Amino acid sequence: MNITLVMFSLVLGGALAWYFETIRTHSARWFALLTVLLVSGYFVLSLIIIETDFSTLQLLTRISWISSFNIEYALAVDYLSLVLVSLTLLLALICVLVSWQEIQTKTGFYYFNLLASIAGIIGVFTAVDMFLFFFFWEVMLLPMTALIAIWGHENKHFAALKFFIFTQVSSLLMLVAIIAMAAIHFQQTGRVSFFYQDWLTLELSSSTSIYLMLGFFIAFAVKLPSIPVHSWLPDAHTQAPTAGSVLLAGVLLKTGAYGLIRFVLHLFPSSSSDFAPVAAVLGVVSILYGAKMAFAQQDVKRLIAYSSISHMGFVMLALFSFNAIAYQGAILTLVAHGLSSGALFALAGVVYSRVHSRDLTNMGGFWQSAPRMGGFALAFAAAAFGLPGLANFVAEFFSLVGAYQRYPLLTIVAALGLIGSAIYGMVFFQSVFQGDAKKDSSGEQVSITDLTARELLVFSSLLVLLIVIGIYPNLILAFFQDANIALAIANQAGAL
Amino acid sequence: MNQLMFFSLSPLLIVSFGTVLSLLLIAWRRSQKLILVFSLIIFSVAFICCCSLIVNLADPVQITQLIKVDNYAIFAFMMVLVASMVVALLSSSWLTHSVEVHDEFYILLQLVVLGAGILVASDHFASLFLGFELLSISLVGMVGYSRDNQYSVESSFKYLILSASASSFMLLGIAFIYSQSGSLSFASDLFAMEHVANEGSNQFYHAGLLLFLVGIAFKLSLAPFHLWTPDVYQGAPTPVTLLLATVSKVAMFIILMKFWFSQSAFLTTENSMTSVGNLISTFAILSMLIGNALALKQQNIKRLLAYSSIAHMGYLLIVLMIVFPQGMDLAWQSVLFYLCAYVLATLSLFMALQLSQAKGVEMDMHVSDWQGMFWHSRLLALLIITAILSLAGIPLTMGFIGKFYILNVAVQAQQWWLIASLIIGSGIGLFYYLRIIFVLFEGVNEGENSSGLSFTISPSAKVAAVLSIATGLVLGVFPDFLTKLIFIL
Repeated sequence: MNITLVMFSLVLGGALAWYFETIRTHSARWFALLTVLLVSGYFVLSLIIIETDFSTLQLLTRISWISSFNIEYALAVDYLSLVLVSLTLLLALICVLVSWQEIQTKTGFYYFNLLASIAGIIGVFTAVDMFLFFFFWEVMLLPMTALIAIWGHENKHFAALKFFIFTQVSSLLMLVAIIAMAAIHFQQTGRVSFFYQDWLTLELSSSTSIYLMLGFFIAFAVKLPSIPVHSWLPDAHTQAPTAGSVLLAGVLLKTGAYGLIRFVLHLFPSSSSDFAPVAAVLGVVSILYGAKMAFAQQDVKRLIAYSSISHMGFVMLALFSFNAIAYQGAILTLVAHGLSSGALFALAGVVYSRVHSRDLTNMGGFWQSAPRMGGFALAFAAAAFGLPGLANFVAEFFSLVGAYQRYPLLTIVAALGLIGSAIYGMVFFQSVFQGDAKKDSSGEQVSITDLTARELLVFSSLLVLLIVIGIYPNLILAFFQDANIALAIANQAGAL
Repeated sequence: MNQLMFFSLSPLLIVSFGTVLSLLLIAWRRSQKLILVFSLIIFSVAFICCCSLIVNLADPVQITQLIKVDNYAIFAFMMVLVASMVVALLSSSWLTHSVEVHDEFYILLQLVVLGAGILVASDHFASLFLGFELLSISLVGMVGYSRDNQYSVESSFKYLILSASASSFMLLGIAFIYSQSGSLSFASDLFAMEHVANEGSNQFYHAGLLLFLVGIAFKLSLAPFHLWTPDVYQGAPTPVTLLLATVSKVAMFIILMKFWFSQSAFLTTENSMTSVGNLISTFAILSMLIGNALALKQQNIKRLLAYSSIAHMGYLLIVLMIVFPQGMDLAWQSVLFYLCAYVLATLSLFMALQLSQAKGVEMDMHVSDWQGMFWHSRLLALLIITAILSLAGIPLTMGFIGKFYILNVAVQAQQWWLIASLIIGSGIGLFYYLRIIFVLFEGVNEGENSSGLSFTISPSAKVAAVLSIATGLVLGVFPDFLTKLIFIL
């Protein structure tokens, strides 16, 4: 499997789309669609053909890159990366489809940015040289910021700036931690190394390790996002174009969770164990605060954005419970939230394209004119509040069950978040689709067109996936049955 | 003077001989085109000379007590030469608007280059002062060169007076240092120093060091000695601002490094490191924070770049905190790489600034004048974007690798406060850097014909723009090309 090829062809496809848009209008979206389809096809095929066991990290590429610092271009994957890369490619497809009609200006450049940020995200999920990881971590930001800043809504510059500065400043902290780790490696072995698997063997004193761990933790907590560094997210999500919101909620937040699992928990098992109570409290506060804030929003996209904060709180709580069940729950939450929040943002985009407003007070009674849209909205809202039978239920159930073994009290409080999510989910659904139909200025009832075939395809594929995973979660969990080998180490460290 | 000495001094000799010839050339025929071509020839011959030197020179060559040519000096001089060539080309388009023949401008430019060359190669306070004054006095002439500009007199006076006071501070500092060490050479005073240190009465030495650093800080526009920078940047003609921002900064920083590392053997031996080191870190922290904070609200591009250059010199100052001998190589490498990235980005920005200015008119450019440039003059906009991202230290550009170097040095020197202020500073910096980029992408106002807005760019400028974009990106992704060059040594 050649991840480099995947990333390269995504960027190349984006560049071609940009170029051909200048020759023939509307060709960019076809190029983008074709690229994503081809790349996903290649990825799935090579997954089927290859028979390697990915339960531990399998190195794909390792070439010397910057020799003066012994930095390498090294990519490796395990099941965690593979699941997240698959999610990324799936949502990439959704993103292209939801932008189909929405983006009318500077289309070529738009698709270039979209595909470039997807390539960067895939790089983040697969890089095992820490410098390379940081490189991709930043590279995915640039096109994402451009998406918000150029094609966003009324307050786009502020949102893009906030998004960029939050992530950039926090990632500089991570860069310092990365450099310090390389320096420690130099002290212990006489050789500078940025290679992830070299770092796993380092012995850190507990005092330095806690600072280094915090450097990584802050960067990932900003991305996740967790209280108190979450405030970029509502703005960025609200102002981004639909595909931008889908990508942000669906995949970009997952890079934070991925970083927590891959780096914070594995590189610093004992200090993360020391830090775990704080992180768990942050998770629980995020769950409740996100739910409360979501309930109070008038703006559809802001509501969904706050619900993301709430759901990511479950991930944080589960990960810092050091427990196999909670770990599986966290990974399922990543997938389920990626699908359901992506779907909700796409839905908000569809509604916006009909009524040109994100304000709940301008909506209502759309069920009459658009029953299919309403049905999907109900299903996705139900997914978000964890209706049994849908993926989110399994995910949150696992997280809570796992977390209960370590933090019984906190988990009980966190479970209140489920009630909160039911409330804001119903508020969302009712105020958009139920009640009296709104009247426009001339006194006629506002009626909106129902889903088109393209939108139907988007939503039904997402819903099918949510149901399938909800009914048969082993589809994903099967890969993570023995994933707790690494976590066992963390457990031991925690027990000490 | 043997052949090796002659060989290693040749770039300087070429420039000084060229300056004399240019004077003769003016006596023979006054033609602006001729002198431009002649200056370019001088610079490129000197550049080629440097190239062959950097490949062939194995060890530093000491030429009398005054001058020591090593690879760092040659590399820095190469940067100076490239920057001056761009300055010469840019000023040729700006100087055409009046009927006068501006030969003197090019003579002054050559003198600036000569001064910078002496400065980077000097190993002695006398040659340092010589280069310093040559650089400053010629720059004063150039800053005030466009007489009809409203800010011209103000900015040249400001620069003159502050340069003069900076050099008098410096002279006094040198005198104090001399009074303790008994030698004006950088290298040889160590033995003398030790006995001073043992006596414990080294207040004079410290005072001298302080005054000397203040003099340098004026020229590097480090906070709190930065007040002249924005005014002079704004008032000077754009090519001269470029010269101030690149050549003068590079030369001054290189000489600061040379001086500092020659003293550091003394500084590490006893605890005087802490007091002088604290001073340097104060300069650094203040420059990073003040420079970035004051740049926030600037609308005028030149003033904005002035403040951002203050911040960048603050970042670079972190390198001086490494004083153990094993770290020297890394420190030099970091400084040269960072300066390279900084010079390239500044060159690109000023090039774009000059090209987007209406021809022949010297006016203040504001950030909003670049609005929507990405949609009508893509090449120029890309040039600006890569330069800005490089200054902001975002990956894919050289600036990121430069910042990576600096952070490496800072971690090795364990300067956590400096790291913290670097992070805060670059966080603030993103505000104004990103604002410029957003302006470039902003839609053009309705009603205006977007094709009419595009700037006409000559083919040679196009080539230069493509070249600087490509260099910035290639070296940003594969920095090995440059580091190998620095470390052919």
